[in-house]
Amino acid sequence: MFWENVKLALSAMKSSKMRTALSLLGIVIGVGAVVAILNLGDSASQNITKSLNAGGTDIITIWTQPDERTEDVFTSEFGNTLKNSVEGIDSVLPQMMSSGAIRSNKKSVGAQIMGTESLYFSAQNLSFDKGRAYTLEQNINNKEVVVIGYNIAQELFENENPIGKRVNFILQSGAVKSYEVVGVLAKKEQSYTMSFDNSVFIPFNTFTTKLVNNDVVSSYVVKTNKNYDTIEVSDNLNRFLDTSVGNDSYQSFSPAMITTMANEVTATLSLFLAAIAGISLLVGGIGIMNIMLVSVAERTKEIGIRKALGASPSVIRGQFIVEAVTLTLLGGFLGIIFGSFISLAVTNLAGWTLTLSYKSFIVAVGFSMFVGIFFGWYPAMTASKLDPIEALNYE
Amino acid sequence: MVKNVIHLEDVKRYYLVGDFFVKALDGVSLDIERGEFTAIMGPSGSGKSTMMNLIGCLDTATSGNIFIDGENTAGLNETELAYIRNKKVGFVFQQFNLLGKESALRNVETPLLYAGMKPKERKRKAIEALEKVGLSDRMYHRPNELSGGQKQRVAIARAIVSNPAILLADEPTGALDSKTGSQIMQLFEELNAEGRTVVFVTHDRDLGNRCRRQIHIRDGRIEE
Ligand SMILES: Nc1ncnc2c1ncn2[C@@H]1O[C@H](COP(=O)(O)OP(=O)(O)O)[C@@H](O)[C@H]1O
Ligand SMILES: [Mg+2]
Repeated sequence: MFWENVKLALSAMKSSKMRTALSLLGIVIGVGAVVAILNLGDSASQNITKSLNAGGTDIITIWTQPDERTEDVFTSEFGNTLKNSVEGIDSVLPQMMSSGAIRSNKKSVGAQIMGTESLYFSAQNLSFDKGRAYTLEQNINNKEVVVIGYNIAQELFENENPIGKRVNFILQSGAVKSYEVVGVLAKKEQSYTMSFDNSVFIPFNTFTTKLVNNDVVSSYVVKTNKNYDTIEVSDNLNRFLDTSVGNDSYQSFSPAMITTMANEVTATLSLFLAAIAGISLLVGGIGIMNIMLVSVAERTKEIGIRKALGASPSVIRGQFIVEAVTLTLLGGFLGIIFGSFISLAVTNLAGWTLTLSYKSFIVAVGFSMFVGIFFGWYPAMTASKLDPIEALNYE
Repeated sequence: MVKNVIHLEDVKRYYLVGDFFVKALDGVSLDIERGEFTAIMGPSGSGKSTMMNLIGCLDTATSGNIFIDGENTAGLNETELAYIRNKKVGFVFQQFNLLGKESALRNVETPLLYAGMKPKERKRKAIEALEKVGLSDRMYHRPNELSGGQKQRVAIARAIVSNPAILLADEPTGALDSKTGSQIMQLFEELNAEGRTVVFVTHDRDLGNRCRRQIHIRDGRIEE
């Protein structure tokens, strides 16, 4: 009986394709949103974890926001103050940041220019594709050497080996400075605080004395001791900074904060999608109820005949509920495809890798069936209560 | 204990139209024995269809008792009435009332489907019934690919497929030309000869005269 009903439902849908398609729209969008919520939630959390690992879970970055009152505070020595004042810190490396254009003999690209200590690379766990980091000595002596990110190397040198070649920095003043490439970083997952692939690194001292005449540190990279909880150290560090410089003159990024932030973003996105899902499923459900009422009205005579042949009210009700559920399941199936595409689009935009969760498909199928039963109930009841004679004589 | 296959006791069926009642049936008592071949005759609007629908459990009486195969149908709910329609009565209509989208075979199978019979068994019985009405070569045709006489044969096959106690036919020849109508009549005669109880509504005197018993209805009352 069940499969007979499914067959009946499919033949009814086939005979009015356009109407079926239109009535499914709401379900497709609604289920699509549900699938997207679940897939994006999963993808987000997986990618957050991945980014955190890329950025180093033991790293806290403090971005300075100096004003007249605090610009003298943010020196490279202040790094030592931090290290000595807060427990659980292995090293604090000051870094300078600027952006600008870099040119090889062929091409020019925009890049993030970082002035960092020679220890920076090992602190951030960066590995080298070619060459190596500049030395402590090169740093102290303000040498004009540079380590370039993977993408920058690709852009400027393509297949050539950049080591030993020179690149030119074009400064805002129009001045051009020539630096020797000593290292190329290996390709790296983007982290929340840095895009290593699109940055170039020059010794801290060289940066402050030769590239820009400014020694207000842009940020401090704090490497925590592995015996301490990074989040706890970060909290203590923030407390220290709040009292010593005030909480509006710095921004600190710790894995904990990033997780919270990312979770907030995904939560907002999910809420938005949930609203769409709710509205679409309601509208879709009403659409299903509508098409089912039309279907019942159009097939009044058929219902009369079936009743005359001995179909009980529950059999007729079953026929139309199965029809409604078949309809919504088809919508749900299309919704899964639609939702997967949304997820793919969003994850592409966010630069995440997509993980499609089978959980979302189960939920989608569940939602579709629920909508079919819930909104198919009233039309099915209407059909089952038709008077046999009136239905038979209906033209 | 009622032993007749159809037994009506003072059956009334009133319709409320506007402010007053239309007395479609106004106190009908009737007994039909197993194996009888009965013609119901009477002018249009006299209440023939109303009576057939009541016997076929498609409708319920305003008052009175109707016994089908010994069972009182008064007070039964829709599910119980559906059961009687499925098991005890086969109904043939003037306008055939076939399921337009289904093949002849599927039409004939439908009552067995509602009886919960397995597909194989269902198909076997349906083919048997179609053979009986001489339509086994049209099994996979849809109603719109059949002539009026053929449609009515499918409808008759469908009415006898579950081997019901009563075969009801409300003007089964009404939509057919007289030659085809006579052939359909002959089919009913054959089915009756096999022992089936047949109740048959007709306007046609010649057809009526071929039945052993005639019941005349006028203004919702029987005048035999
Ligand atoms: N649903 C209805 N509502 C009101 N009056 C009805 C209805 N069905 C039948 N009637 C009336 O009942 C009477 C008997 O009708 P019917 O049994 O169909 O007559 P017949 O089949 O003998 O031509 C007619 O007067 C008809 O108008
Ligand atoms: Mg009539």
